[in-house]
Amino acid sequence: MSKTDIREPGVTIDGRIDVEYHWSAGVAGSRFFTELRDSGKIMGAKCPECKRVLVPPRIFCEECFVDTDEWVEVSHQGEILTFAESYFGLQGQRLEEPWYIGIVKLDGADGGLFHRLVPEGGEIKIGGRVEAVLEDDRKGHILDIKHFTTV
Amino acid sequence: MKQKQRVGIASVGMMPFNRILEETSEEMAYRVAKDALDKAGLRRDDIDAWVVGSAVDAFSGVNESDKFLVAGAGGSGKPWFRNATSGSTAVSTPDLAYSMVASGQVDVVMCICYEKMSDNENSQKVFNYVYDPAWVRPVGLNVPLQCGIEARAYLHRYGIEEEEMAMLSVQSLGNALDNPYAQRGKAITIQDVLDSPYISWPVKVLDTSPVSDGARAAIFISEDKLKEIDDDPVYVKGIGRGADSYWYMGRRNNDLGRLDYAYLGAKQAYEMAGIKNPQTEVHVAEVYDPFTYKAMQHMEAAGLCEEGGAGKFVREGHARRDGKLPVTPSGGLLGEGNPIGAGMSRMTWTWLQVKGLAGGCQVDRDVDTAISTGWGGMYQYNATMVVGRD
Repeated sequence: MSKTDIREPGVTIDGRIDVEYHWSAGVAGSRFFTELRDSGKIMGAKCPECKRVLVPPRIFCEECFVDTDEWVEVSHQGEILTFAESYFGLQGQRLEEPWYIGIVKLDGADGGLFHRLVPEGGEIKIGGRVEAVLEDDRKGHILDIKHFTTV
Repeated sequence: MKQKQRVGIASVGMMPFNRILEETSEEMAYRVAKDALDKAGLRRDDIDAWVVGSAVDAFSGVNESDKFLVAGAGGSGKPWFRNATSGSTAVSTPDLAYSMVASGQVDVVMCICYEKMSDNENSQKVFNYVYDPAWVRPVGLNVPLQCGIEARAYLHRYGIEEEEMAMLSVQSLGNALDNPYAQRGKAITIQDVLDSPYISWPVKVLDTSPVSDGARAAIFISEDKLKEIDDDPVYVKGIGRGADSYWYMGRRNNDLGRLDYAYLGAKQAYEMAGIKNPQTEVHVAEVYDPFTYKAMQHMEAAGLCEEGGAGKFVREGHARRDGKLPVTPSGGLLGEGNPIGAGMSRMTWTWLQVKGLAGGCQVDRDVDTAISTGWGGMYQYNATMVVGRD
């Protein structure tokens, strides 16, 4: 693009938006994060009709549209469904080393978690196996799982 | 789809896409609304109702941006509302304008989509608030990664090649050279695309549409009223939409490589239009293409080629302006610019193609039927529209 394509700005009124929020984790999410903090377990919610074990858990099955009625512990291990690497940080800044995120389908669950992946045990690939690495001091938060590492 | 009356399109309103800091959304809305009215020979008083759409008004740092537009869009004293389904707003808003006329409630609707993305200092910080605060945001996601996980799943599933993505970029930026409203018409080579930096494998900078500001308008009108002003009436033949869960990591189909919701949108639109074989019955397509691989996914979902066959389709030149089924001959979001909601431009170009008014972007073949698509959310929404003459 040539520089002449960008017209000069007119008068701008400059400012910023800075507001604090408290986002609810929800009924199902609160149970998940509490269990993760207290026992280190990863829990799913089971649909009584289609029998899917939903992770992340929800109080409803969006397909059958009924209440989920059972909490089921699922594995800390699972399979990479897809992943990506980025040389950009979360504020858009350029990074020297890439970081990885992906979707991990957990054994015993029909869904999985979106999380950071670390290639400690070998290459990150679709279909590759990974395991959750937990924090010792857990706070009831998705980052109580530090990341998933390849096994 | 039941309709009380048939619906056509009287005209479209255009303006160049670019980084437009000196104009407000209201001023952009005025430009495209006025353009559409003038081209149709209509006045503000001839419009019965307005529907406007924008995808992410947090980009411009205002809440419910529609309220700024009422006067500029011409809507003072008239029925008015706003539609938002993320990026698919671009076509779901025209779908809605169609529905308002088809219901028989009103005869003439002004549809405007707009986006002002240049007001903010850091679009990634705004995007961060699109992601779920409990499950996704703390882990960290950004636009490059968002594309990376989807594109990798798509290439893995179907064996699409990076070179085929690059070919589509070359084609679209080249097409935009003939589009007077385009921000990034450019003659580039496949090697230029392959040499551009990765934002996240397999997506490179030149697989990516440019950030932009802009607006589009279209006037949806009942058949009777359209015939009074146009002796070559072009109608809305079909509309369709699909949606899927925000929880992309836990859907029934958790393969991001296949867009079930986009297949659903196309199926509805084609059934309504009576189209059985889109590969021969659709003559030109403007698919939603914020990234090259997205264009390819949407070509497949819309049945323009076989599922998984978009790479081969592009490689063999079928999608070119002189090909058997041209795709985004305007240059698409990749070449024209991507002011998200104003991606409604895809729909306006299908009307221009059917009318033979696409200028340097007009395709070589005869066009009676054209489709446009929109896409948005966390891999969630599709909207499709078929336009054509009888």
